[in-house]
Amino acid sequence: MSGVTLKNVRKAFGAVDVIKDVSLEVPKGEFGVFVGPSGCGKSTLLRMIAGLEDTSGGVIEIGGRDVTNEEPAKRGVAMVFQSYALYPHLSVFENMAFSLRLARASKSEAKRKVHEAAEILQLTDHLDKKPSALSGGQRQRVAIGRAIVREPEVFLFDEPLSNLDAELRVQMRLELTRLHKQIGATMIYVTHDQVEAMTLADDIFVLRGGVVQQAGTPLTLYDDPDNRFVAGFIGSPAMNFLQGRVTRRTEGGMAVAVEDGELEVRVEGAAPGEGTDLVVGVRPEHLGPVESGGFTAQVEMSEELGGNSYVHSTPPSGGGDIVFERRGVRERLTGQTVRLGAVPENVFAFTPDGVRVR
Amino acid sequence: MAMIRDRRRHKLVAYSLILPFVAIFSLVFAYPTFEVIRMSFTNAPLIGEGEWVGWANYRELLTDRLFYTSLKNNGYFVLLTVIPTTALALLIATLVNRLSGRMQALALVLFFMPYVLPVSVVTQIWAWMLDFQFGILQPAIAFFTGKPVPVFKNPNWVMPTIAVVTIWWTNGFNVLLFLAGLRNIPSELYEASALDGATKWQQFKRVTWPLLWPVTALVLTLQLILQLKLFDQVYLLSEGGPFNSSYVLLLMVYREAFQLNNGGYASAVALVLFLVIMVVSVLQFQLLRIGGKNK
Ligand SMILES: Nc1ncnc2c1ncn2[C@@H]1O[C@H](COP(=O)(O)OP(=O)(O)OP(=O)(O)O)[C@@H](O)[C@H]1O
Ligand SMILES: [Mg+2]
Repeated sequence: MSGVTLKNVRKAFGAVDVIKDVSLEVPKGEFGVFVGPSGCGKSTLLRMIAGLEDTSGGVIEIGGRDVTNEEPAKRGVAMVFQSYALYPHLSVFENMAFSLRLARASKSEAKRKVHEAAEILQLTDHLDKKPSALSGGQRQRVAIGRAIVREPEVFLFDEPLSNLDAELRVQMRLELTRLHKQIGATMIYVTHDQVEAMTLADDIFVLRGGVVQQAGTPLTLYDDPDNRFVAGFIGSPAMNFLQGRVTRRTEGGMAVAVEDGELEVRVEGAAPGEGTDLVVGVRPEHLGPVESGGFTAQVEMSEELGGNSYVHSTPPSGGGDIVFERRGVRERLTGQTVRLGAVPENVFAFTPDGVRVR
Repeated sequence: MAMIRDRRRHKLVAYSLILPFVAIFSLVFAYPTFEVIRMSFTNAPLIGEGEWVGWANYRELLTDRLFYTSLKNNGYFVLLTVIPTTALALLIATLVNRLSGRMQALALVLFFMPYVLPVSVVTQIWAWMLDFQFGILQPAIAFFTGKPVPVFKNPNWVMPTIAVVTIWWTNGFNVLLFLAGLRNIPSELYEASALDGATKWQQFKRVTWPLLWPVTALVLTLQLILQLKLFDQVYLLSEGGPFNSSYVLLLMVYREAFQLNNGGYASAVALVLFLVIMVVSVLQFQLLRIGGKNK
């Protein structure tokens, strides 16, 4: 049994292609996350799966069934909207029982199902209230409860946490993970927040301009990005990028001249020839002061987080902010010039077009 | 100290701002109202002083057959217009709301156009269209009744016809109010209910109707007040006839005051109409509000 499968799916609004040939699969019971910058088409893709937007081309399958031209209600999906979309004139109970009432379920069945969902979501005390009398987090839970009551094959979430404050967001994130374990249904979640994506997902699909840039588990995307966009998008603080040029081949890779020094890069395949322009990327946690090699940078300031700190520095060319992480060190580097380097395994190289050189 | 002085200045500014309004209001509303009340207890002609007669005008009113006929006709007209026009406006608004941008604007202009017309133009148009001999709508009437009907000279047809004209004339404004209300309902609610399995009719019944209720109550109340004040259309189309079958209270006021020069009696009728409108509309609005709460 499969969960949700998209085959060569396209969507055009008039002459504008918003989704361009997307193929992906979220296996049954997995938690898939669409992540990408604003306007990349995440919501559109999700709404296409829900049946709220029609599909310009390709095939959408849910549970092995072709639902491309099926009505929203018959797809076996439930959606949680960013704005919650609660019925303001109905109580929490009636909001959650809405679909059961439409299906003419018996009173006792409606009551049982709503109470079960309310139990899971700790809403039992609020069932008689109107949505306007609830806090943001509670409204969010009602919206989720409304989805649970329908017992769908697939849950769809469109940025459900973006209206909540930071603390509540972390808490709801944990609750969603717990809920997913408890219910075991397929879930697809849209966010532009890569931290949310990393923490929730079994599989992440990074979208840009209506194209899936890379799909994989959070750690695959983090450790082995296919291109510069994914490398820069996943991870916080973001990866550092430096312009460079290949100077020589080394054992198992190449050396790339960056700024006033050089970084060695591990390359599995054939390394590009000498003189090739490249972009190298190093994550802050992999970059640090070294005795020799590397390049120099002048420290400007550091963000002290207690356990670790992020040090912001400027390379000699003045281009960009180079961030590196330090752990358990109290010594301040502000104003000093340091030599920064990383081991070859942790340095990524990309062509100027952004394709990874492996 | 400074704060007290500030507050005093605040008050002065406030009073000076509302003063012009209060002055104009007293001049053109409060004073005439007071005069009408006073006049209704006198036998004054339209202009000039009269003698105090106490409740005599009102006592006379209670025995006036024309008063009861008019009251009944007012009630009949309210029945013929208020709910039908509200229902029609709601129907049109939901349909217009489904059209896309430019078509929607076009449809709206079409429905709103009659509202812009002066009443005399409206009645002229309909008098033409319903003319017994040449009216282009007479064949349609003949199709249903078998023969042409002189609608403004037939006691059974006159009120319904005036109601149709009135609805045609004023409906655009109600459509506008409903459309504004419909646009205030977030589209996500329809998407959510579609996912929940609601049909179009269920969406209307369970989402649109309850959320639109405040607008519906407003339209009903405004219509009630407006239609109780019926005068122009009747005056221009049938002059209250035939056999007083379209006589209404304001027509009575007009006749008593301006044709028979009975200022005092006309004032009494006007005041009764005023009271009827007040009581009925407040009552209706309260009822509608209670109805809304129970939803
Ligand atoms: N109904 C529509 N008509 C025309 N263009 C649309 C429509 N809906 C969305 N778009 C366009 O499609 C693109 C993708 O929109 P979408 O809402 O899917 O973005 P998103 O990835 O969800 O962004 P965000 O993170 O801001 O929510 C945008 O460029 C948007 O302008
Ligand atoms: Mg979106």
